[in-house]
Amino acid sequence: MASSRLRRTGRLALAVLVASTLVAGCGSGGDDGDSADALDAPGAEALDSAGGKTTVEFWHAMKGANAAAVDKLVADFNASSGGKVEVKPVFQGSYDETIAKYKASVQQKSTPALVQVYDIGSRFMVDSKQVVPMHKFIEKDGFNTADIEPNIASYYSVEGKLWSMPFNSSTPLLYLNKEAFERVGADPTKPPKTLAEIGDLAKRLTVKDGGGKTTQYGFGAAIYGWLLEQLLATDGKEYCDNGNGRDKLATKVQFDQAAGVQVAQWWADLVRGGYATNTGRKTDDAQAAFKAGTVAMHLESTSVLRGYVDAAKGKFTVLTAPYPKINDASAGGPIIGGASLWINGVGHSAAEKRAAWEFVKFASGAAQQAQWHTGTGYVPINPKALEEQIDKDWVAQYPQFRTAVDQLHALPPSVASAGCLLGTMPQARKASEDGLEAAIVGAKPAEQAMKDAAASIQPEIDSYNKSVG
Amino acid sequence: MLLLPSVVVFALFIFWPLARTFYLSTHGNDIFGAPSTYVGVDHYTEMLTGEFGKVLGTTALFTLISVLPAVLGALVVVLLLEARLRGVRLLRTAFALPFAFSVATASVVFAVIYNPAIGIANGLLGAIGVDRVNWLTDPSIALPAVGLATVWMNLGYNVLVLSAGVAAIPPEVVEAARLDGATGWRLATGITIPLLSPQLFFLVVVSTIHALQSFGQIHILTKGGPDDATTTLVYSIYEKAFAFGSSDFGGASAQAVVLLVIMLICTAVQFGVLERRVHYR
Repeated sequence: MASSRLRRTGRLALAVLVASTLVAGCGSGGDDGDSADALDAPGAEALDSAGGKTTVEFWHAMKGANAAAVDKLVADFNASSGGKVEVKPVFQGSYDETIAKYKASVQQKSTPALVQVYDIGSRFMVDSKQVVPMHKFIEKDGFNTADIEPNIASYYSVEGKLWSMPFNSSTPLLYLNKEAFERVGADPTKPPKTLAEIGDLAKRLTVKDGGGKTTQYGFGAAIYGWLLEQLLATDGKEYCDNGNGRDKLATKVQFDQAAGVQVAQWWADLVRGGYATNTGRKTDDAQAAFKAGTVAMHLESTSVLRGYVDAAKGKFTVLTAPYPKINDASAGGPIIGGASLWINGVGHSAAEKRAAWEFVKFASGAAQQAQWHTGTGYVPINPKALEEQIDKDWVAQYPQFRTAVDQLHALPPSVASAGCLLGTMPQARKASEDGLEAAIVGAKPAEQAMKDAAASIQPEIDSYNKSVG
Repeated sequence: MLLLPSVVVFALFIFWPLARTFYLSTHGNDIFGAPSTYVGVDHYTEMLTGEFGKVLGTTALFTLISVLPAVLGALVVVLLLEARLRGVRLLRTAFALPFAFSVATASVVFAVIYNPAIGIANGLLGAIGVDRVNWLTDPSIALPAVGLATVWMNLGYNVLVLSAGVAAIPPEVVEAARLDGATGWRLATGITIPLLSPQLFFLVVVSTIHALQSFGQIHILTKGGPDDATTTLVYSIYEKAFAFGSSDFGGASAQAVVLLVIMLICTAVQFGVLERRVHYR
């Protein structure tokens, strides 16, 4: 009895041992694991020498209409690859969730060959030491970089070199409810250009009913850190130090300086005066308020324009205007936000890397970008897409979209509008929202609120820089 | 030997994660969240700030306003349902119904009710001429609003447990009390409530633990805001570990240890103080 039990235990232990070896074997998979050339860009021959079909796992964070556009793009590519490459798109949730899962996959040595990461995750991706910089592929192939909108490329460039391929890009806009303007005798064709002008107009555009209840607010936007980042950029202010983190690692955020405090104060005054509604941090809720026609002026990304136009049909007319500036003297332009595609080198074969690059190249083509542009509302990263016929037709149908394209081309290239590269940028954005919210709900004076918010992120920045430095 | 499977399962899913949490709470993290250097009690001393004090206060308040009304409310409902009315079974089912909703479903429903732009609650208030209430965007109202949603979610389960308790009271005891002339209030306070005390005690202990662990409704309704007004300990742990690209598993683990200690203390106190008053049959 005793001996048979012992034998059984022994067999169990053996089984566990075998299983764990197998798992470990799978985990480190791929043929060139951690070798030195894992971060090199292989040439076209890598794909030819690989027998059979090369599979590329592609993690993305697009849902709804945008996911359908991704699936279409991937299907087109797979069909055009002649059976040599198969890209498998995998939806991983929001941008935050995608990067959280990516971090876990690095620990488990099972990264996808291709991953879509939001703009503010760029510094982290560079520091992760997992990716093949896009410029290596560009040099290898002599790829024409004129096909990439320079203002968009500048966000994803470190020391002038492109690290990832922009994929979906959007700019911020000022949205107006045309009929609300006309009802109070304001001219919707002369949109406000500065925060002060929005403030003055908001007072005129706030409407109360007989009982003193507000039925329409002059202004309303989500407490969304991205909007503040954009305002600071239009003012030519750098969000973080060391040249927006582009000269060397940024060591602190600067949204607590005068311009940031001014924005917080302006916003708080509007809300506390009853001229702006505070719908909190959820962009969905602020969007619902504008779509319901209860807000006359609103700040949001270009990527929601299509939805607004559809929702307002028969109720009111949606107009778009360039993103406002902090004051008349502001001479910058907004940052091109969105996300980009990163190719993972560590743990992936030359054929996989090459196949991922082939897809990236395909996705940035003019025809594909025109389709992407019209299917999603994101700005095309390839300027030639605007000359495609389907794109021309689309802009003719939705003239509001011209604003975003014009704004993009009028943008003077600057360090401020390249955006801040910071490893802990997602947390910094959250901290700036803490500051704005504290000022808006009146928990703290604006200056104190922004100072505290900037201070709260300091330990994270320090510890990040220590661990990568 | 017969205990071995359960010991293995316990070791794997309870003791190992617990030991791992202690280990992580004394280590820093690299940018991927893997444990790096040993930092001793740094993560614990980090908590000695006003900010963390506020988190603890919010947690305590949230527990109080979600546990007591849900237990007392269920008691009132069950006592009222004792009345011999027509359709009482229907009412009992109706009151127990929230139990059938998952936290996520119920939270989404409340998100629609509380929505600042197109919410049902403000619509109803508007219809009777009351100005809109900023349910989830006013720091002083958000926590009670989330608490109210939680009370609603827990009410069904509490009603179910107490109804079962009432059904288990021997009819001859109630009969005897009635013969002695006890009705209504006296019957409730003298007979029903004391005989329900084991169920009430169970509900208080279990709901307290549930409230301390609440996550879904906070995540869906407020994400811990506005101005951190609804950031409870569990939500703070989540934010440190996973939200906004953060991967401070060390700090999150240290807070998790604090949560464990708080739960142990709460449960110990409840057993020490309340259980003495429980009347077991």
